[in-house]
Amino acid sequence: MKITIGHLYPDLLNLYGDRGNIQCMKKRCEWRGIEAEVREFQLMDHIDFSGIDILLLGGGSDREQMIVCQKLKALQKEFRDYVEDNGVLIAVCGGFQLLGHYYDTEDGRIEGLSLVDLYTEQGSPRLISNIVIENELFPYPIVGFENHSGRTYIQGNQPFGKVSYGFGNNNKDKQEGVMYKNVIGTYLHGPLLPKNPHVCDLLLSRALEKKYGDGKLEPLDDSQELEANQYIVKRFVN
Amino acid sequence: MKLRRTAAILTAKALSFGCKLAGKQGVTMAGKLALKMDPDILKDLAHQVREKIFVVCGTNGKTTTNNLLCSAIEAEGKKLVCNHTGSNMLMGVAAAFVLAAKWNGKLDADYACIEVDEASTVRVFPHFQPDYMVLTNLFRDQLDRYGEIDITMKLLDQAMKMAPEMKVIVNGDDSLSAYLAMESGNEFVTYGISEQVFEDEDSHEMREGRFCKKCGARLEYDFYHYSQIGVYHCTQCDFKRPCIDFDASHIQMKHGLEFDVEGRHIAADYRGFYNIYNILAAYSAARTGGLELKTFDQVLKNFNPQNGRNEVFHIQGCRVLLNLAKNPAGFNQNISAVMEDKEDKDLIIAINDNAQDGIDISWLWDVDFDRFRSEDIKSITVSGIRCEDMRLRLKYVDISSELIPDIKTAIEKRIREGSKNLYVLVNYTALYGTHNILKDMER
Repeated sequence: MKITIGHLYPDLLNLYGDRGNIQCMKKRCEWRGIEAEVREFQLMDHIDFSGIDILLLGGGSDREQMIVCQKLKALQKEFRDYVEDNGVLIAVCGGFQLLGHYYDTEDGRIEGLSLVDLYTEQGSPRLISNIVIENELFPYPIVGFENHSGRTYIQGNQPFGKVSYGFGNNNKDKQEGVMYKNVIGTYLHGPLLPKNPHVCDLLLSRALEKKYGDGKLEPLDDSQELEANQYIVKRFVN
Repeated sequence: MKLRRTAAILTAKALSFGCKLAGKQGVTMAGKLALKMDPDILKDLAHQVREKIFVVCGTNGKTTTNNLLCSAIEAEGKKLVCNHTGSNMLMGVAAAFVLAAKWNGKLDADYACIEVDEASTVRVFPHFQPDYMVLTNLFRDQLDRYGEIDITMKLLDQAMKMAPEMKVIVNGDDSLSAYLAMESGNEFVTYGISEQVFEDEDSHEMREGRFCKKCGARLEYDFYHYSQIGVYHCTQCDFKRPCIDFDASHIQMKHGLEFDVEGRHIAADYRGFYNIYNILAAYSAARTGGLELKTFDQVLKNFNPQNGRNEVFHIQGCRVLLNLAKNPAGFNQNISAVMEDKEDKDLIIAINDNAQDGIDISWLWDVDFDRFRSEDIKSITVSGIRCEDMRLRLKYVDISSELIPDIKTAIEKRIREGSKNLYVLVNYTALYGTHNILKDMER
């Protein structure tokens, strides 16, 4: 078995330890005897979506995000087909904002990919905090760190989680992130996956399911992952 | 007026003394109090400096460069003001001047050498405009506090414009710092290393500034020294590494550090390639300031800042080296320095997430910890507030570690178990405490 992970524009979108998300997916495949290949795409590269099982779109500075969004617009149709065909996509921070229709900033509008029905508006102050969210899909909370001035509104879509501590999408509706088909969009970095192995495994399982029709994963010893996760939960929630 | 000044100085001194007795650093509080009691105090005291004021800025190397510069200037028989402890925001800068002043408000100093946090320059420069600014480098650091590098660069640009007479001494090998100096309109001189030192630099290292700040195109490098530091030019526009005024050549790292500059041979018993830049920065600054530096070799030999930067302790037959590692570029350089030592060694890494450290520790995943996978590293202990995160980081490069949250317990255990060569790498808020623990144990 083999999983191919596509990392979009790591030179530009690499602000908050996104390499850790890639490393986490790769290792958790390898520890189970699943081959994992990581393909890094730079701005000038052609992207063949058909060879990709999981895509990661990370976060960058507003300036860098502007450069990326211009490039991505040209790929909008292929991107949409990938998502509608249940392709697995994890979009973090700036990447999450790019999933939507637009991000209105004081320097103008950054057009999004309109892959999911959501939009973002810049607000003040910047929302910077450790964050804990809960989702019934998972046996324990999801923890991370958020740092965004965007306020995101996900309309009627499913959130990635309900906020127990921190700000979430917009500091109003207690929702964090979005889940749509096999897409997860979230403001959580830290990076997201290492301290939330259950989220990482969900992505891997969905990708395997789509590719091989069987998403079953061998369990791993996650005691160190969970201790790091529990530390945050205990410190900020309980 | 005068009474108020005297009161401010005495109060600050008393507070600082009290804190020292209590084993704490009261520098910031002392500065805050003095400025509150007498808002003009910093301006007036800085005005009394008889010759030149240097400030040192840049993400990494500020404290070491500034302390070296101080020692070099002191060796020329000059009196100076310096914020040795690395308290480098407005309050810390104010404290350095206030604590150096006499109770009557008189300051007896030929020079001032002050390290200033990049974002604080715009708060410090309204009080005084320095004659020289040393700009060492710009890397990602504490994103939760300072935001992106773009924001730091904007602030530094503002600061340079606030002091148009200030001459900038800049690391020409850092495209971000060089760009700032070249675009500022201020006069500048450069230092750098034009020869290739490392054969095959690991291309996976996190690099800032891959793209030209002037036109946005990709920068091309002849070679890298580390991170984005190297010899570069833009593929589209005329932006390129500037001519280097103080060019270090014949770099040797076999026995300490050696290089030539201005036809002089410089040798220091330090480790870590990055320290060549620190020495070169201090040298270039002092030379630009018109100092001869006849005894620079002796200055380097005697240099022992005792502030936890590369500080060595000897405890029950164990050599312990303490160093600060607080962002990816700094940590990667620390790893290089540790790996230059081929002897067997144990390692303790302490990571805190207090406000001064940056409460977001995701940067740990931008550090190339896989380079610690080596036969001669006998053990790694993770410690500090976020030790669980550090342990997890190592797990994902297949390195197992022992978790001991309390740093003192961790150090004691390694020494009890017979370590002869122990490296302790800590981030900011763990530094002072660990330094005191090691000092106590050495006694």
